[in-house]
Amino acid sequence: MHIASGFLSPPVWGTMAAVSGAALAGSMAVAGRRLDERRVPLMGVMGAFVFAAQMVNFPILAGTSGHLGGGFLLGILLGAPLGVIVMGSILVVQALLFQDGGVEALGANIFVMGVLPCLLGGAVRWLWTRERPGLLTHAVTFLGGVLAVLAGATGVTLFLWWSRSLPANVTLAQALGVMDFIHLWIGLVEGFVTVAVVRFILAVRRDAVLGPAPSVKGTLA
Amino acid sequence: MTSYNRATLLAGVVVAVVVGGILSYFASANPDGLEKFQEDLGAAQPVHEGVEAPPLAFREYNLKWLGEGFWANAAGGVIGSLAVMGILLGIGRLVRRRRAATAGQESQAPGS
Repeated sequence: MHIASGFLSPPVWGTMAAVSGAALAGSMAVAGRRLDERRVPLMGVMGAFVFAAQMVNFPILAGTSGHLGGGFLLGILLGAPLGVIVMGSILVVQALLFQDGGVEALGANIFVMGVLPCLLGGAVRWLWTRERPGLLTHAVTFLGGVLAVLAGATGVTLFLWWSRSLPANVTLAQALGVMDFIHLWIGLVEGFVTVAVVRFILAVRRDAVLGPAPSVKGTLA
Repeated sequence: MTSYNRATLLAGVVVAVVVGGILSYFASANPDGLEKFQEDLGAAQPVHEGVEAPPLAFREYNLKWLGEGFWANAAGGVIGSLAVMGILLGIGRLVRRRRAATAGQESQAPGS
C-alpha cells in the first residue's frame, strides 16, 4: 500500500509529513517518559517481523496481491505510541533503502500504515490484557484488522484524490469503491493473521506484552 | 546482556531469516492492492515531482551485487529486517541512557 514518489501534491505530502512528524514526536515523548524497558526487545523483534512480513505478498482476487500492514498488530502488542515508532522505523527503512514508497510520501505512508492502524490497535489492546480473552475479543480483533486496512486504503484514496492523481472521469465514490473492495480481501487476511500472531506472542511472551504480571492474586494473598 | 535479551535477539534473527530471507522469495509477484487500483484506473503514471531514494545498495528488495533471484532477495530481507530491529533497539538504548542521566541529576539535586 506504499504510495510511490510522484503521486502526491506538495500540499498533501507536506501536510501529512507534518501530521506524521507530530505523531512520531509525540510517540517518542511518551516513550521517553513511560517506556518499560522490558518492552524494547519485543519492539525490535516485532519490527523485524513486520518488515519481513510486508515482503511476503499473497495473491488475492485475479492478478492482485496484498501484504500484511502490521500496524494494527503492533498497536495491540505495544500500544499505539510504540507501534507508531516501530511502523515509522519500518517505513523509513523501506523508503530510504529499498525505494518502497516515495521519500516525499513518507508522512502519508506513515499515517495510513502507522498512525491509523496503530491507534485502532491501541484501542482494542485492553481486550487482550484480560485474564481469558474470549470469542468477542477474537471477533473484535479480526474485524478491527479488516477495518484498519480499509481505513488506510480510504486514506490513500483521499490523498491521491486531493493530489489530482486520479483520472478526471472517475468520481471519488467510484475510486473509494474500487480501492476498498480490493482491500477488503487484504483486510480479511490482516485480521486473521493479527489474531493468530497476538495469540502466539501472548502464549510465549505474555510478560513482554503486558509487563510483569501485576500479580493481583499474589499481592492479595 | 541478559539471557532474556539474547533469546529475543535470536528470535529476531530467526524471523529475519525465515520470513524476510526465505518466505519472501515465494511472494506473489502480482501488483499489490494500491498498484492494481492505480493500473485499473489508468493512473499508474506519476503526475507530480517526486523524490525516490537512489538504489545505492538495493534495487527493490534485491541486494544489487547479487543481481536478482533467491540470494539477492534473501540478503535484502535479512538486512532490512535486522536494520529495523537495530534502529528500534537503538531507540530503546537512547531512552534508557537519557533516563539514567535525568535520574542521576534528580538524585543529586535534593542532597546538595
